[in-house]
Amino acid sequence: MDSTTSVSAVEVSSTPVLRLEGVTKSFDIGKPNETEVLHGIDLVLKKGEFAALIGPSGSGKSTLLNIIGLLDRPTRGKLFIGGQDTASLDDAALTKLRGRTIGFIFQAHYLLSAFTALENVMMPIMLERGHPDDPMRETAKALLEKVGLTKWQDNLSSNMSGGQQQRVAIARALALQPSLILADEPTGNLDTQTTQSVFELMRQVSANSGTTFLLVTHNLSLAKRCDRIIELLDGKVVVDQATAPTEVAPITQSSEVVKNDRALSIIPSKQRER
Amino acid sequence: MNNLLPFEWIAAIRFLREGRLQSLFIISGVSIGVAVIVFMSALLTGLQANLFKRVLSSQPHITLERPKQVATPQRKVAPGQAVLSTVQKPAQRLSSVDQWQKVRDEMRNRTDILAVSPTVTGPAFVVRGDASQAISLTGIDAEQYIKIVPLPEKIVTGTFRMNNTDMLVGVQLADDLGVQLGDKLRVTTAAGGSLTLTIVGIFDFGNRGANQRTVYVALSTAQNLLNLIGGVSSIDLTAVEPFQAEVVAQSIAASTGLNALSWISNNNQLFIALNAQTLSSQVIRLFVALSVAAGIASVLVVSVVQKRKEIGILRAMGGSRGQILRVFLIQGAIVGLLGSMIGSMLATAMVSLWGTVAKNPDGTAMFVIDVNVSLYLWAALIATITGLAAAATPAVRAARLDPVDAIRG
Repeated sequence: MDSTTSVSAVEVSSTPVLRLEGVTKSFDIGKPNETEVLHGIDLVLKKGEFAALIGPSGSGKSTLLNIIGLLDRPTRGKLFIGGQDTASLDDAALTKLRGRTIGFIFQAHYLLSAFTALENVMMPIMLERGHPDDPMRETAKALLEKVGLTKWQDNLSSNMSGGQQQRVAIARALALQPSLILADEPTGNLDTQTTQSVFELMRQVSANSGTTFLLVTHNLSLAKRCDRIIELLDGKVVVDQATAPTEVAPITQSSEVVKNDRALSIIPSKQRER
Repeated sequence: MNNLLPFEWIAAIRFLREGRLQSLFIISGVSIGVAVIVFMSALLTGLQANLFKRVLSSQPHITLERPKQVATPQRKVAPGQAVLSTVQKPAQRLSSVDQWQKVRDEMRNRTDILAVSPTVTGPAFVVRGDASQAISLTGIDAEQYIKIVPLPEKIVTGTFRMNNTDMLVGVQLADDLGVQLGDKLRVTTAAGGSLTLTIVGIFDFGNRGANQRTVYVALSTAQNLLNLIGGVSSIDLTAVEPFQAEVVAQSIAASTGLNALSWISNNNQLFIALNAQTLSSQVIRLFVALSVAAGIASVLVVSVVQKRKEIGILRAMGGSRGQILRVFLIQGAIVGLLGSMIGSMLATAMVSLWGTVAKNPDGTAMFVIDVNVSLYLWAALIATITGLAAAATPAVRAARLDPVDAIRG
């Protein structure tokens, strides 16, 4: 926890941003091939935390992220967002809650190509209010300034580099001042240098605004630079621990890490073979 | 980005602008469809209006005649007695409408009648030297009759004038008899009348039969020749609503007891033909509209597939199903509306082109196509509704997309 406080001066409030209690998720329910991909996940994310979610492919990372992001519902168990139980909400209410409290950053190419950088940042606010207005334009400008893209604000997003697009996506995720930002492989398509700067930007944003980040990544060196690492294996949380500041290693290119998926674990391999 | 437009409109316009070529093709497709529909409608309306004008300009809307004479057996049948009789139909003599002045005044007071003109019509011969021609002698009250049939417009040589010794003949009759303006012709009738009249005008109804048979003289002249002094054989009427003529005729027949014949019942074949024409053109227009709708729908279906991920992102960012639905519905409506506007312009161009190509031998337009504003407004309305309807399926598909599948897939 030392690292958390060292990065962020924001006080950790008593109500967690996110709380999962015994969340399971099964697919093809009632069919012979029914499979449970998440087995009783318990997880709490506090305000201002910067956590990494790692795990090999098929470990249930995406499913968990979709449930946390209110894009999917758990089969069993409870999900609280800012203390509110989400089980009783209908789809429209979930959509609304999602828009207000959760920001998304995806791997790549998920800006709206028909809109400029500035308009993309305005989008979440516009979706909530129904039409654009000047205050939201100012908000979006301020956010783009924060990610260093003021010059590029009127560029169509399809004319921007991968790193620039991801910065826009970060600004967009912040538009409604969400309490939680879910970043799904945000640096997956970026080179080492850009990865470094995008990651630093996210840390900085988190520190300044007290926004909780949950970062799904294949890049172990990146995960180690987060405050906390949550490792998922076969639908269970096998590791949930704070990172030691001494472990911080230089960021390597993510693609090198992805080559051996099973190696993506902070548990010594001997222990895992058990 | 305009602050006044709601998100759905902005997104719809941006998506259409982004898929430039696709949007261009479908809007041209809709334009051509709308142009065909508008042009066909205008052409058909013009054609039919022209046809009716021609038909109506040479005949009255309603003609009142004395009821047919019937033979009544004189012998009364006693109770219990049966008589087998053959009743022959009497030959219809030329005779006057009873109390025609009273009927005329009654007709003038009706609000559904514009003009009333008593006429005397009967068979006669025109004789010139050894040549003779059977004609239909029509005695008219010039002032009244021109309100029924615009005779002055039909005169090709001479003037429209109706003194006691004047006559108007058709171009065909003049040709057959080799007569000119100012020549005199003897008119004789079976009733024994015989008068020499001067040709003061030659008319052309655009119909060989009418140009050969019809001869106009003054009312009193015809009364003399046909031995129908003080009487008229029929009363011609112009109805306020030409297409209501049959209804008006029936009401007049009921109130006066006279035979009332409307132009609609006289031209039954024409109406059957026109109805068939209207029906077939409606079928064609319907199918053009359907193919336009199918085009819009297919383009939007493709667009939904292309925009899958962006739709997923919009949903993840808090966009509701309703917002996504409306974005695609509006795209359909915009395509329909834009297409109808361009299509209407195309149709106008086609109509004016038609005006320069389809001409009478004398260089005047064959007929006037009337493209009125209401036709454009209807086209715009129907095309927009068609666009909305065509967009319904793709829009519902877009709205139903599961954000998880959309983003991952």
